Amino acid sequence: MSNQGLTVSDTPLSRARITPSMVVAIAILCAWLAVAIAAPLLAPYDPDAVDIMNMLAPPGADHWFGTDQVGRDVFSRVLFAARVDLFLCVIGVLPPLVIGTTVGLASGYFGGLVDTLFMRVYDLFVAFPFFVLVLAIVGVLGPGLVNFVIALALVGWVSYARLVRAEVLTIRESEYVQAAQCLGYRPGVIVLRHVLPNAIGPVIAYAVSDAVLVMLAGASFGFLGMGAQPPTAEWGVMIADGQAFVQQAWWICLFPGLAAVSLGLGFAFLGDGLGQMQRRQVTP
Amino acid sequence: MNAQAQTQPLLRVENLAISFASIEAVKGISFDLLPGEILGIVGESGSGKSITCRALMGLLPGTAKVGGSVRLDGGELLTLSEADWCAIRGREMGMIFQNPASHLDPLRRIGAQVAAPMVRHLGISRGEGLRRAASLLEAVGIREPEKRLRSYPHEFSGGMKQRAMIAAAIGCSPKLLIADEPTTALDVTVQARILRLLKDLNRERGLAVILISHDLGVVADICSRVVVMRGGEVVEQGPVAEVIDRPRHAYTRLLIDSQPGRKVLPQPKAAPEAAAPLLGVERLSVSFPARPGSIAGFGTRTADVLALDGVDIHVNAGETVGIVGESGSGKSTLARAIVRQNRPKSGSLRFDGEDVLALSGEALTRFRRRVQMVFQNPYDSLNPRMTIAEAVAEPIWRHGLADRRAAAKQADELLEMMELPAHLRNRKPRQLSGGQCQRVGLARALALKPQLLIADEITSALDVTTQAQILELLMRLQRERALALLYISHDLSVVGSICKRVYVFKAGQVVETGPARQVLSAPRHAYTQELVGSLAHLPSAATTHETGAMPHHAP
Amino acid sequence: MNLLSILARRLPQLVAVLAGITIVTFLLLRLAPGDPARLLAGDRANAETIAAIRQQYGLDLPLWRQFLVYVGNLVTGDIGRSLRFQQPVADIILRFMWPTLFLAGYVVCLAVPPTIVLAIVGARRPGGLADQVIRTFGMVGLAIPVFWLGIMMSRLFGVTLGWFPVSGYGVGFVGHLHHLFLPALSTAIWMVPVLTQSLRAALIDRAGADFVTAARAQGASEREIFWKTILPNSVLPTLNLLGVMVAFLVGGTIIVETVYAVPGLGSLMVAALLGRDYYVVQGLTLVFALATVLVTLLVDLLTGLIDPRVRT
Repeated sequence: MSNQGLTVSDTPLSRARITPSMVVAIAILCAWLAVAIAAPLLAPYDPDAVDIMNMLAPPGADHWFGTDQVGRDVFSRVLFAARVDLFLCVIGVLPPLVIGTTVGLASGYFGGLVDTLFMRVYDLFVAFPFFVLVLAIVGVLGPGLVNFVIALALVGWVSYARLVRAEVLTIRESEYVQAAQCLGYRPGVIVLRHVLPNAIGPVIAYAVSDAVLVMLAGASFGFLGMGAQPPTAEWGVMIADGQAFVQQAWWICLFPGLAAVSLGLGFAFLGDGLGQMQRRQVTP
Repeated sequence: MNAQAQTQPLLRVENLAISFASIEAVKGISFDLLPGEILGIVGESGSGKSITCRALMGLLPGTAKVGGSVRLDGGELLTLSEADWCAIRGREMGMIFQNPASHLDPLRRIGAQVAAPMVRHLGISRGEGLRRAASLLEAVGIREPEKRLRSYPHEFSGGMKQRAMIAAAIGCSPKLLIADEPTTALDVTVQARILRLLKDLNRERGLAVILISHDLGVVADICSRVVVMRGGEVVEQGPVAEVIDRPRHAYTRLLIDSQPGRKVLPQPKAAPEAAAPLLGVERLSVSFPARPGSIAGFGTRTADVLALDGVDIHVNAGETVGIVGESGSGKSTLARAIVRQNRPKSGSLRFDGEDVLALSGEALTRFRRRVQMVFQNPYDSLNPRMTIAEAVAEPIWRHGLADRRAAAKQADELLEMMELPAHLRNRKPRQLSGGQCQRVGLARALALKPQLLIADEITSALDVTTQAQILELLMRLQRERALALLYISHDLSVVGSICKRVYVFKAGQVVETGPARQVLSAPRHAYTQELVGSLAHLPSAATTHETGAMPHHAP
Repeated sequence: MNLLSILARRLPQLVAVLAGITIVTFLLLRLAPGDPARLLAGDRANAETIAAIRQQYGLDLPLWRQFLVYVGNLVTGDIGRSLRFQQPVADIILRFMWPTLFLAGYVVCLAVPPTIVLAIVGARRPGGLADQVIRTFGMVGLAIPVFWLGIMMSRLFGVTLGWFPVSGYGVGFVGHLHHLFLPALSTAIWMVPVLTQSLRAALIDRAGADFVTAARAQGASEREIFWKTILPNSVLPTLNLLGVMVAFLVGGTIIVETVYAVPGLGSLMVAALLGRDYYVVQGLTLVFALATVLVTLLVDLLTGLIDPRVRT
């Protein structure tokens, strides 16, 4: 009976191994979360305080990251912007995640008309480049963060639903789900207790990676003038502000960009690590 | 035999040891292969037999540490450079694998794949290679070889793919063919034909073969000598007849005794013939839409495929009934129809007088409690996120038969009844062995105290010794709980050893039915005769066939 | 003829998707809050102008009639008139199309060779040093905002070093190459990690496939196995990426064209959005969608050409 030991015994340990890069990623994300929460305490200046006497001051002892074209402190603005951008990552990912998972579960488990309908919608949505569709919707609804989040929810759920559906289709055929059906559990119980817990892993990993795209899209929209509106401190908006002055004052653009890259890296490494853990669970 | 023993061995393996990191997979084994003989290597999963044969071909990953010596015709193989290996693989030694479907390149034509080793090693042209490939395909029993050269692997059946693999392996007339579980993924009748082909090639071309198998019956069928492996060691080797008749090692004896049909399993006394059967299936047909593409638009024709075509079966209370058939025969479709997981096209299904197809609501729930099922794949049949105690307790409290705490207690009792140690109760399925998982599956199915248990290929993923234990357990439970058992399997000998009556399925129909003894000893239908003929019997098992394998009575 | 059969099989889906695209682009304008006629007329228009516009654009008709008009116009190639340029949208798109196409081609040329090299190097020893470094840089590339990278590169290579122009499209082929180098490079830096990751995964997956072991057991050399077995089998999953690539390309070019002031479809889109030039937005969305559908179809046909399992 123990003859299968070779293949089986070494799996439980490797199951939840967290890689060093994931630790770094979690540290980065926690740091940014702390910064966002404690921004008023950490920032040396009011992020919106204009100081005409101190325009385009280079980084120095008074202003660590320098000042912008109206004399606002770039360091304070970068800290405060973390609130907007971090919030954006969460609020931009959650609605598509929830909607998509629900649709994907229904479509994958019950099949039938819901599924056919969903596949048609999916075919349609992949015909539009993601960015263009979000941009067009925001453009028509009017620039601003709220409309950006609405557009993301309208477009983003489809890829989550597709992912969940694919997972559910395999899980539905698994023998433990068939066993649950034979045991006479209600469909709701089977979906929530037996299908969802086994389908959600890859979705979470995808959502974390998706946060990178959402953050970049949010910053890009701010940059294009379609997202957060000036004078809100937001990294994309700050970079857009600084673009005109980049020849004299590179610091206005550089620091918000670095901030965005570091936050993005946090999500990217975490998502990658989670994805690898998923894969490792499948392969033993 | 005796003349052969005098000649030099073709392959001499001495103290071969293979380890991965800290795990010793093969612990210093030695054996010889004589020219033109068929040597069987038998062992269960984890015995190191597959790793051994990969080492013989130099196919181990770079992380493996290999020690000892392997000599082919006197030349040492283990010290060869990669370039030298390339000159020997496919030229001097060929190899075929367990799953022919995944070992053929899906993007290249069969002809090109069969010709490739010849073009590579013999320096012939592509055209000449294809010409020879055609005659090779013919030699391995593929009809219309010229036409088949242009086929792609996905257009071949499983047996044909394995034949093509064999053709590619013997193209350069190697001295040795290593066959790693070559028939395990195939249906029994196809398996018998492939084995016959290997034997013919051996006889006609003097091709030496190493046949690796988990199935002692297969090895006994065509091999002259056998090496028995366990846990990376050779426990016994010698001529087949000798090893099987007079096993010296306890493990060999266990292996032989575990062969299905070998041991007489006590069967319940025949239940009194009830007026109405517990389960009655009449003229049941199930069809599936045959969809050509994954996403069918409108305008695609959907011709239905009949998976079950007017089947009649019945099971009496407390009776053990077997269903035998190859893949695609509809036997699993029947199981799923009984537990209402697919919708029959026509026919009737009655359980204890009730029309199963019309059940709904509370009545359906009651039916669920009375009919349960155990599945094939030990790991896939348990939710990987639940501990085994949770999995067994869940049906009890969900059906309101007890509160959660009492259900947990009942679950523990069930697990104990399955002879599972108590310390395993909080493990997840992946931390258990295959046999243990199957016991959990059984416990879960019995949690609702069903009257009918459907077992769909529940031992086909297990090793023979584990299979024997599970079968014994099943028979005990059946006796103690007066269960009716519908046992579904591709393996006629297993069904024959535990069932009272059998139904033989082919292409969705019952082709033969009757008492197991009668069907096995005097099959009437041509297909059943072929099935019985394909049974790989141990030589000495064949002699005890009449008395031992066919129990007449309970001891 | 095999390809024709694939085409025929895809046709119903294709028609459905095209119909869907038409509906979505039509509804897009109706998403706008408020009276569309007022929006089209602009803020300073009086009631009379608004009424005239409402009539001119058929906005007084019921929705389904408007849709029919829209479809009818589409069939004749009329996708509306730009309010800002006072020209047919189709003409404007044709005019702005070339820089974008050039840029897209440029990006593909810059992105594909490093992708193949990096993926092969990484896949050769998965988890090895080279692989780790490539993965880490890929992650950084993914997390960089393209517009920021663009600005920083234009500052460094354009202003400080003066190697490349930082705006415009240039004159002549060489001029285009010169002017679009930085935009193309910034987009490529963003795209290479995505493509590399997927090709690498495909290569590793196929390198462990059973048919590779079989080829090895038949005496094929590692080089032969790589070129004749692993690579062709890895191309299939990578082909599917082409569709993804187009989406990335379009998104990337929209931003990059804005940063570098390239007169292409991306800048046109952003300008139209900010200037509320709705018919241009609608037309561009339509064109981008059609381009994506076309590429997807092309990928399907190519897949069919390579993979015999799809053909039958």
